[in-house]
Amino acid sequence: MEPQLTKEHFKVIGMTCAACAISLESYLSPLDGVDYVSVNYPNQSVAIHYNASIISADQIKNKGKEIGYQILIETNSETEAQFEAMEQLRLKKLRYKLTGAAVLSIPVFILSMFLMGVVPYENWIMMLLSIPVLFWSGGEFYRIAWKKASKMQTNMDTLVALSTGVAFAFSVFNTIYPDYFLSKGIPPHVYYESAVIIITLILLGRFLEEKAKGKTSSAIKSLMDLTPKTVTAIRNGEEVELDYKEIIKGELIILKPGDKVPVDGNVKKGISFIDESMISGEPIPVEKTKGSLVFSGTINQKGALRILATKIGEDTMLSQLIKQVKEAQASKPVIQKYVDRIAGIFVPIVIIIAFVIALIWYILGPDPSYAILILITVLIIACPCALGLATPTALMVGIGKGAEMGILVKDAQALETAYKTDVLILDKTGTITEGKPEVTDVVWLNDTDIEANEEILLAIESQSEHPIAEAIVNDLKAKYTTQFATDTFESLTGLGAKATLNNQLYFIGNKALILEQGITISDDIVGKAEQLTEQAKTVVYFVENKHVTGLIAVKDKLKASSKEAIKAIQNMGVEVYMVTGDNSKTAEVIAAQVGITHIKAEMLPEDKGNFVKHLQINKGKIVAMAGDGINDSQALAQANVGIAMGSGTDIAMEHAGITLMHSDLKQIARAIQLSKATMKTIKQNLFWAFIYNSIAIPVAAGILYPAYGFLLNPMIAGAAMSMSSISVLLNSLRLKKKNIQ
Amino acid sequence: MKIAKFKTNINCGSCIKSVTPFLNSLDNVDLWKVDTNNPDKILEVELDDEDVQAVINAVTNAGFKIEKV
Repeated sequence: MEPQLTKEHFKVIGMTCAACAISLESYLSPLDGVDYVSVNYPNQSVAIHYNASIISADQIKNKGKEIGYQILIETNSETEAQFEAMEQLRLKKLRYKLTGAAVLSIPVFILSMFLMGVVPYENWIMMLLSIPVLFWSGGEFYRIAWKKASKMQTNMDTLVALSTGVAFAFSVFNTIYPDYFLSKGIPPHVYYESAVIIITLILLGRFLEEKAKGKTSSAIKSLMDLTPKTVTAIRNGEEVELDYKEIIKGELIILKPGDKVPVDGNVKKGISFIDESMISGEPIPVEKTKGSLVFSGTINQKGALRILATKIGEDTMLSQLIKQVKEAQASKPVIQKYVDRIAGIFVPIVIIIAFVIALIWYILGPDPSYAILILITVLIIACPCALGLATPTALMVGIGKGAEMGILVKDAQALETAYKTDVLILDKTGTITEGKPEVTDVVWLNDTDIEANEEILLAIESQSEHPIAEAIVNDLKAKYTTQFATDTFESLTGLGAKATLNNQLYFIGNKALILEQGITISDDIVGKAEQLTEQAKTVVYFVENKHVTGLIAVKDKLKASSKEAIKAIQNMGVEVYMVTGDNSKTAEVIAAQVGITHIKAEMLPEDKGNFVKHLQINKGKIVAMAGDGINDSQALAQANVGIAMGSGTDIAMEHAGITLMHSDLKQIARAIQLSKATMKTIKQNLFWAFIYNSIAIPVAAGILYPAYGFLLNPMIAGAAMSMSSISVLLNSLRLKKKNIQ
Repeated sequence: MKIAKFKTNINCGSCIKSVTPFLNSLDNVDLWKVDTNNPDKILEVELDDEDVQAVINAVTNAGFKIEKV
């Protein structure tokens, strides 16, 4: 049996660069009982699936501590606040350290650049000024590098610590024993200015990076802002102002006009309109009266309401939504896995290369002290930070932007693939159409006892959750107040339902059900059914003891935007198919209305899944599937990109990588565009990060020196290193402003 | 509108908290209040109808004693 895995999402404190994320991930992954680890650096979090009977959250926390990361294992809003506070403190500290470094670095820079040989004891002065810059402002680099080294690990701090440490040690040696190199005919250079400027610039880069990182996750913050801080409730007969966290289940909450709905609940008293655009995308406020459901994050319009809290805290719709977006942002696309692998081996390789090149310079170079300079420059320029930021920052912005548009990406892989879609398969009912069918015709063949027949129909259909059954129930409910109970009931997915009542066997369902059961139909019924299907009505057969005794016709309206949306998708070069469990006549009529030429009708759930597979394997297509029902879930899971309608079933949403909150097909085109824009940003980022390293490392190694006598200054290398990270971040943020129609 | 009074053992603030969901969810209850200062811990309920029993059931389900005064 599969062990029950605990799936958690923890915040992590202390990750200073992308390589940290890889190191934490590779440190936790091999632990016994840990099934899956995915660390998100920009989000400063880790998603982890583990078997709680083998390893506890506490043990995981301790493991993290061993390599210098603090994993916050308490997953409530308090840790969220704690995390925020600690992040704020860290940012504040970083600012002090940066300011300190800058203030002390400037005199060192001026002394070494412009006043060389003017000031007495200049080397000693520079040394004293450098000490606090290196060991206070830059202390973190050394601490982390040391912790890593003791575990035989490296990250970008290792590179910074090594390069500045070598520069500093070499300079101190030359300050104290200037005669040593002098006696060998080598001028005893000092590189204090390189060491301090590198520290300052990297701190500056990090500071800007922190600021930008905060911006990439603003989508979540804006969702969180939909939760009010305080609410007005009635406790013991009195109106009291409560903190949001104090709300209990069953709390009677007063909503005044303009109030945000704090929790999920139902209306106890009052009439009002609530703006639910945040969850349904419908811009028109929905009327709420006694008994209506209300959801957290929606906004009360004009009236006053009293609502009864049914779901609070982590269970509310809004909390679930936030959780889902966070999980999506922590999920990793395939491309990131390659990048991680490269970044993980990058640092040790760079260290080796740097020492080899330094050795070559020492042997062949004009002046052995150049070897030190080259070593410092190569180590600095090679930091793979930009590489590590390229994918996650773009994804966070992309997924966040999606959430703002009502496109909920559950899995980064869906976003990675959506733009490659060749074929889009649309389910008919609930996807192209409203999915709220209405009964148009009821035909009974033996019109002797219509009432009895209809009561049986009502009894059976009221147990089914299918939208068509719902329509039939709605139609009949008004007519018959008392209801029978069936003796047995069985739902036949994709076919209909089977029930027994008063020792009679009944089937209610589509034509496929009739065929499957081998029920013969008279020509008269066939003719009537055909007439109805030609009008794009769905025919439901009522079978009593293997005889068709009635026909019910149901019609489902098209969604207003479907036609236009399908055209837009076709214009993007995507082939659009329609699949439906419905009969081919109805399917053809609907398809013609929305301009779809590829139709697959009378499909069972597994047929839908197999059809997706067929297109993928036999035709080599990238298939996106959009649907809303349980019967679509197999196809949604099989498709390269599964798109569920927010108005649909939870099961469909679970199997899909993307959920459209607005249930509007126009959103599919937008999702494809969002995918395209996000992937473009990722590729640009990776291109710049790679190109930067592949050009900069040879230059830093002195490849231009033999021909042009050009050597890269270590300080410029430090600035360039920071610039590459910042440019990647800015490029990702550009995605935020991108206009997606 | 009818005001009904009951004698209960709803003693303190946290008792009130545990009885809250039960009374709030009653359809016919508009407003209710427990006077914990009164030795009889009087629960006063504004009812939309005559269904006093619903209140008694709700309070009993919450684990408290209640009797009509």
